[in-house]
Parts: sequence; C-alpha cells; structure tokens
Amino acid sequence: MACGLHSFTRPSARLGRVSNATPESTPRQVAEDARARVRFEEEALELSDQVYRVARRLVRTPEEAEDLVQDTYARAFRSWRQYQPGTNLRAWLLRILTNLNIDRGRRDQRAPDMQSLEQGDYYLYDRLSAQDGQGNLDEERVVERLSQDTIVDALAAVPHNFRDVIVLVDIGEFSYQDAAQILDVPVGTVMSRLHRGRRILKQQLADTVGAE
Amino acid sequence: MMGDACNCEGCEERIQPYVDRELTAEEVVLVEAHLAGCSYCRQCYEFEATLRRVVKRVLGEPMPPQLKAKLVALRTPLV
Repeated sequence: MACGLHSFTRPSARLGRVSNATPESTPRQVAEDARARVRFEEEALELSDQVYRVARRLVRTPEEAEDLVQDTYARAFRSWRQYQPGTNLRAWLLRILTNLNIDRGRRDQRAPDMQSLEQGDYYLYDRLSAQDGQGNLDEERVVERLSQDTIVDALAAVPHNFRDVIVLVDIGEFSYQDAAQILDVPVGTVMSRLHRGRRILKQQLADTVGAE
Repeated sequence: MMGDACNCEGCEERIQPYVDRELTAEEVVLVEAHLAGCSYCRQCYEFEATLRRVVKRVLGEPMPPQLKAKLVALRTPLV
C-alpha cells in the first residue's frame, strides 16, 4: 500500500532528503534538485486528465472543476518536496484536491431528503428487469434506459460525504485503502459510505425510470 | 431461485466489494460458489458490474484541452 500520502500530512517525514537545495547548496545539488522537480512536474501533468475527471464530479460545474484542478497543481508544484517518489502520486494529488474542495465549501450541497426511503442493493435491478421482462440487462440496454442526464442528476443528488467516495472509487478507480487515505477516514467508513451511497444513487435512478 | 429475491445471508453485502475486487481470496471463493448456484444473484452481480462501467463511462468527462496548457504554465520556470 502506498504510504506517500502521509508525507503530505506530516512534512517532517521528509527531513534529510538530498533534494532540499538551499542557497548554500553546491551547483551539483542545485542541478539534482531541479531535475527531481522537473520529473515530479512531468509525472503530475501526465495524471491531469484523471485528476480532472474526479474533480469534475466532486463539484457542480466544469468551471469549478477547472479552478480546483489549477489550484491543486499550483499547490502540488509548490509542495513537491513533500511527495515521496515511488508512492501513489495520483492519490497524493487527489488528497490535495479534496482538501482544497472541503476548505472552500464548494462541494455541491444538493441533497434531497431520501435517506428514509432507502431500498436494498438489488432494487434498481429488480425494477429495470421487471419493466424489461427479462433478467439479462446488457450494457447497451442499461445505457439506453438510463440517460447521461439521469445519471449525472442522480449522482448530484447523493449527499456529498457519500458521493465523494463513489467518485473516488467508481470514477477514479481508487482502492478502498487509497480512498480512505485521500479522505482521511478509516477504510470501514469508506466501505459503509460506498455501500450506502450506491444504494441512494440506485434509488434515485430507479425513481427516475419508474416515473417514465 | 430465478426470478425470486435472494435470501442468502450476506450475499448482497459481498457483491459490492466483489465487483470492486476488494475481497480476500477466501471470500472470493465463497462468492463465486454462491454465484454459480444462484442465477438471481448472478444476474444482479452482472448488472452491478455493468452499472459500474456505465457510470464510469457516462460521468468520466475528459479534461478540456485548454486546461492542460494552464497547468503547464504553472510549472516552475527553469533558470
């Protein structure tokens, strides 16, 4: 398991790194430091599309997502020495991003009162297959029944604590462990929020298709 | 069990981490043995996996090209 995320919360862990160039550093140290920084920036930029895809679903508009990603990269480039090479850089960047997002209170707060109506895991499947009259719902059939707008609206309606976990695991493809470190919560919390959040998401979708 | 709700205890709870590949090897064996004998759960599992792919595909909006240029501009200038 990548433990590089700790270095973001505990900067003291990096004491003694050779890349800490100071005004007293030798030209060789300065050059090594510059090379390490360039490598870090290039690796971080290669991940920018994946970082944006997660950011886009944590906030309401594309403009907010762009702002959030830019601020994340500005901070990451400033704090690059806190990243431990060889650990999970994507998770490190996402931790910065989710912290910035929480600090700003920019998370989409739409959250209808539907928790009390929560159904079981298979509720959406039961509903779609009953309407279809068949058990096998292939991908194209599911896409046909659930439009893009329906899915976007359903996710936006999930309360943010649950939605953050869904976005990290389902769109970001992070492990439960990585999602736990990014959000600074126990793995058990990730699992329970994911389970509950997906139920709410599916219930939103089921209500939409049921209303057609 | 085709067409009926599944009564198998713990089955629903295990399907999610199974789709996410977060179960231990022993748990995977248990789930797969169950799925082999329960067509309702198997179809539900296939639906869950499909839904996961659909959500990722539909919600995975690519980065606007101009944003990449803005991020590159944030890099530390080489001196």
